[in-house]
Amino acid sequence: MKDRGADRGRRGGRAGGADRLDRAGLELLRAIALRAETARRLVGESGEAVLRAIVDATVALFQAEAASIALHDPATDRLVFRVAAGAQGAGVVGLSVGSSEGLVGYVYTTGQSIAQSDVQRDARFGRSIAEQTRYTPRSLIAVPLVDEQRTIGVLEILDKRDSTSFSIRDIELAGIFAHQAAVAISASRIERDVGSLLGATVRSLVAQAEDAGGPLPDAAAVERLVASAAIGLGADDEFRLWELVEQVARVRSADPAQLDLVIDLLNVLALHAERRHPRRTRAGG
Amino acid sequence: MDPVLPAWSEPFVRERRAALARLPPLDQITREWAWDGADGSGVTVAILDSGVEGDHPAVGGRLVASYRVEPAAEPEAEPVVLEEEAAVDVVGHGTACAGIIHAIAPAADLVSIRVLGPENRGRGTVFAAGLDFAIERRYPIVNLSLSSKSEALYGAFHDLADRAYFAGMLLVCAANNLPGASYPSLFSSVVSVAAHDVADPWTFFHNPAPPVEFGAYGLDVPIAWRDGTSIAASGNSFAAPHIAGIAALIRSRHPSVRPFELKAILAATATPLPLAGRA
Repeated sequence: MKDRGADRGRRGGRAGGADRLDRAGLELLRAIALRAETARRLVGESGEAVLRAIVDATVALFQAEAASIALHDPATDRLVFRVAAGAQGAGVVGLSVGSSEGLVGYVYTTGQSIAQSDVQRDARFGRSIAEQTRYTPRSLIAVPLVDEQRTIGVLEILDKRDSTSFSIRDIELAGIFAHQAAVAISASRIERDVGSLLGATVRSLVAQAEDAGGPLPDAAAVERLVASAAIGLGADDEFRLWELVEQVARVRSADPAQLDLVIDLLNVLALHAERRHPRRTRAGG
Repeated sequence: MDPVLPAWSEPFVRERRAALARLPPLDQITREWAWDGADGSGVTVAILDSGVEGDHPAVGGRLVASYRVEPAAEPEAEPVVLEEEAAVDVVGHGTACAGIIHAIAPAADLVSIRVLGPENRGRGTVFAAGLDFAIERRYPIVNLSLSSKSEALYGAFHDLADRAYFAGMLLVCAANNLPGASYPSLFSSVVSVAAHDVADPWTFFHNPAPPVEFGAYGLDVPIAWRDGTSIAASGNSFAAPHIAGIAALIRSRHPSVRPFELKAILAATATPLPLAGRA
């Protein structure tokens, strides 16, 4: 992961401090990073679940044939459809379009909401997507997903079942749904930033030690810092979830066959839990 | 406005007061008085958007200049405003706005300042630099069918909106459809516009409850699009240029009106309610 702290920090030139920590210090940092990544994956999954819930609700409320969310992938500069709902929605997940291409690209590029009633008349709009999904809508709404800084993706709603077009109120309502999605996405991005924070902390520790002319921080110093930062974590009602995370982290040392078995077991348990408690998402919660 | 000496009372002294005479009372202001016979001549409308396709039939050859704002190359540097070699629109949004304004004020000159596009999508700093450029040039009407949600730029946009107001310019802003604040569309000195669903470009409503004080045609509007085409689309983006066009007519007929007077004339000439025979 590219560390943004290095770009911004006054001490960017001294990056690489982690190489100079002792072995025990490095192992400790790896352990922290592993837990952060585990937590990210757990929370990241629930982030995706929120997006799915949003498109499900969108389809139900608008009585639409489909709703989908496309997010911008900076690596490829494309908008990738991440989740979709509705009778005509499923085919779009995983597809992508250029960031300025079609209606989705238009909304992403301008950051402005738009609705269109006679989509088929303008053959260029979303044609590549329509060809891939074999579904050409009559009408659609597309609204940008905007976080505090910029546009990060687009929420699209296709074809109201009981009407040939969307109303002005529909566009405003779509904006509220898009806002919810943007909030969910930026929450999961915060999790991802844990890695960058860790890197920035290490560099800051190393730089402070250098400024003070003293030795580099040892494992005990890092541990004290991390322990003080982690006070209170795990003491709340998420405790059982953290326990699960610990177990998942331990299973990493298992051989591939054992891992497969654990994954199968968890799959069966998850299916069972979903059937018995369809609304519960927390382990043991 | 460059007050070197703080002589704020000077305009109000007896021998200078005659110059303060302004508009007739609001109830005497009619559409006939406001813009009858006006076609936008002598008024330039700047369009901060995705560019304007100069040869699009809907623009009627009124595009007189095109600029683009390039994002800063270095983090500390400022965005740069450059003259475009060719009048292009990268997505169609700006041409749509230009077409609506031209249909209402056919003799108004149009200037395109491109701040939207693949290379600077939604960058508030680029938008702010484009607005700063428009204010330096003192274009009397500026259409902003876009806004910024950046809290960091709140102060910068507030300052720009004040400068535009003091320079006698009217900023016509599309209200944002998304929850939360966006600038400069929520500032008091601008005209903030949302869409209504009456299919008539001359029907516009005044809303006495700010911040969005005007409603204009914005549902299934026939709009000019990229590559000389046209489509029908909906959004506040297409409501704002209707008000910008009407403001250009008023300004063309009454060149000395200040922004607050222009807003008052718009309120006085708004479509009366209830609207007979319409939804």
